[in-house]
Amino acid sequence: MEKKKLDEHEAGPIAHPKVDRFGFVKQEANSPDGLTRSRSAFECEREERRIRKWRKMIGVGGSDWKHYLRRKPHVVKRRIRKGIPDCLRGLVWQLISGSRDLLLMNPGVYEQLVIYETSASELDIIRDISRTFPSHVFFQQRHGPGQRSLYNVLKAYSVFDREVGYVQGMGFVAGLLLLYMSEEDAFWLLVALLKGAVHAPMEGLYLVGLPLVQQYLFQFDHLVKEHLPKLGEHFAQEIINPSMYASQWFITVFSYSFPFHLALRIWDVFLYEGVKIVFKVGLALLKYCHDDLVKLPFEKLIHGLRNFPEDAMNPDTLLPMAYTIKVSKRLGELKEEYEKQHGKVSDSRIKQKLQELNCPDAASLQLDGKKICE
Amino acid sequence: MASSVNKNINSKLVLLGDSGTGKSSLVLRFVKGQFIEFQESTIGAAFFSQTVAVNDTTVKFEIWDTAGQERYHSLAPMYYRGAAAAVIVYDITNQESFERAKKWVRELQVQGNSNTVMALAGNKADLLGARKVPAEEAQTYAQENGLFFLETSAKTATNVNELFYEIAKRLPRLQPAPNPSGMVLVDDSHRPAERAASASCCS
Ligand SMILES: Nc1nc2c(ncn2[C@@H]2O[C@H](COP(=O)(O)OP(=O)(O)O)[C@@H](O)[C@H]2O)c(=O)[nH]1
Ligand SMILES: [Mg+2]
Repeated sequence: MEKKKLDEHEAGPIAHPKVDRFGFVKQEANSPDGLTRSRSAFECEREERRIRKWRKMIGVGGSDWKHYLRRKPHVVKRRIRKGIPDCLRGLVWQLISGSRDLLLMNPGVYEQLVIYETSASELDIIRDISRTFPSHVFFQQRHGPGQRSLYNVLKAYSVFDREVGYVQGMGFVAGLLLLYMSEEDAFWLLVALLKGAVHAPMEGLYLVGLPLVQQYLFQFDHLVKEHLPKLGEHFAQEIINPSMYASQWFITVFSYSFPFHLALRIWDVFLYEGVKIVFKVGLALLKYCHDDLVKLPFEKLIHGLRNFPEDAMNPDTLLPMAYTIKVSKRLGELKEEYEKQHGKVSDSRIKQKLQELNCPDAASLQLDGKKICE
Repeated sequence: MASSVNKNINSKLVLLGDSGTGKSSLVLRFVKGQFIEFQESTIGAAFFSQTVAVNDTTVKFEIWDTAGQERYHSLAPMYYRGAAAAVIVYDITNQESFERAKKWVRELQVQGNSNTVMALAGNKADLLGARKVPAEEAQTYAQENGLFFLETSAKTATNVNELFYEIAKRLPRLQPAPNPSGMVLVDDSHRPAERAASASCCS
């Protein structure tokens, strides 16, 4: 629509005429980059005020963050839900995920993993490198800096935890992080997430059998039936289950084949509040499109569930809707129910590692014979 | 139910095979006639559909393209269970992918439906210079295991439509056999799982 205006107003990080604000090469027509309207002067001012507030809140290099967080967790939550300013996103993500602490306490570890270790997953990783965000300028260039850092982070992780190794999907998570921080920072954020520095560890998403994916799908299936009974009924009739449309939501936390501007907003909340936002957003999407979806037969339904209309994916309507959906209590109950049927996903191994990686408190950590935390 | 002259059947088809062998590229070629050098890797599974006409019958393939990595194995059964056809893809330049294909064949022979039409596709046939898997070896293996075999190239489109057409021809519903129930000619196998009865009907 407002193509001309749009281009004038886009001061992207890279001077590339066909690239959106986030560095994705634009598709011809309606590229879902969230820039379908230009920003007014008013909005720009508001954005600047917001950035100033945020800067005050986190302090220089994040020095005031912990203090602020302890005093006013609700203010933090509210502000994060409105979206972290893009210029501070990388830093704030590291602060809220706990990865900053891991990094500071483990100097040199990343370098060691990248340079000296070899991984059994190297070929698998290489094969996927050019297939991860292939439409993003940073990752497009063969053997360019983007592809190299993506390779390094994934390889380092596959060495850091050889049991998880490399699993398809991790590349999108790492890729998203790398657009906002350095390799080493991205690596530690991945560690923080998968090992559960702040929230429950998510490595079960990638372990053999994908146990956590299975659990999340089980929980989501029930939540759909409970929150949207009519749609749940329709899914049952058409024999559609969440594994057909939602597995990649969980495996990549919406970083795969979702509009990037929406993915970022979800990640803001995800890192602070945990995985329940993935459930809420998933339910909100279904709720938003409910009246259309209930009418669709199998094939169109599958298509619809993988191609939500652009208005459904506007973060400023979708997220407020997601916040109103309450899932915490049921998620807990459903987890128990799932564990009764299938055993615990968080087996002793994960628990042990979780403890190990509470590095700020734990005395030391041994992993693959190396000290990770001193 | 009128004896159908122009039949429409729906058939669930699943693509299996190692990651990077070109499953998504084959589907894209078949469904959209395109080839994209850097296709995003498939996370979970993706769904497509395309129709093929065989004589007086239109076969609509409902295609599940799966993620190939070993780790995703646990998600595969729900896609191949009840499939009318399975295409197992390997990369002719990669011996390991051929071994992996054989594993898939064995798994389908044990776990799958015995009526499933199985095809073996040796993809990337345009890369002759880098060939590691001789066509004869694959052909022999296919014969021994009752698979239909073709070498394909998603890149040049060689044998891609042929592959799906040949599968369509081999579907049991298209074989000249009397329909035992004398009833509706409909394949509800796109319903991924257990339930056999289906509401859908042919024309
Ligand atoms: N030369 C050649 N490359 C192919 C062919 N089919 C796929 N590829 C390439 O192989 C890589 C993996 O393809 P993809 O379809 O994503 O594989 P999948 O993981 O099995 O779905 C991509 O880089 C494709 O461009 C082919 O027929 N010939
Ligand atoms: Mg694929």
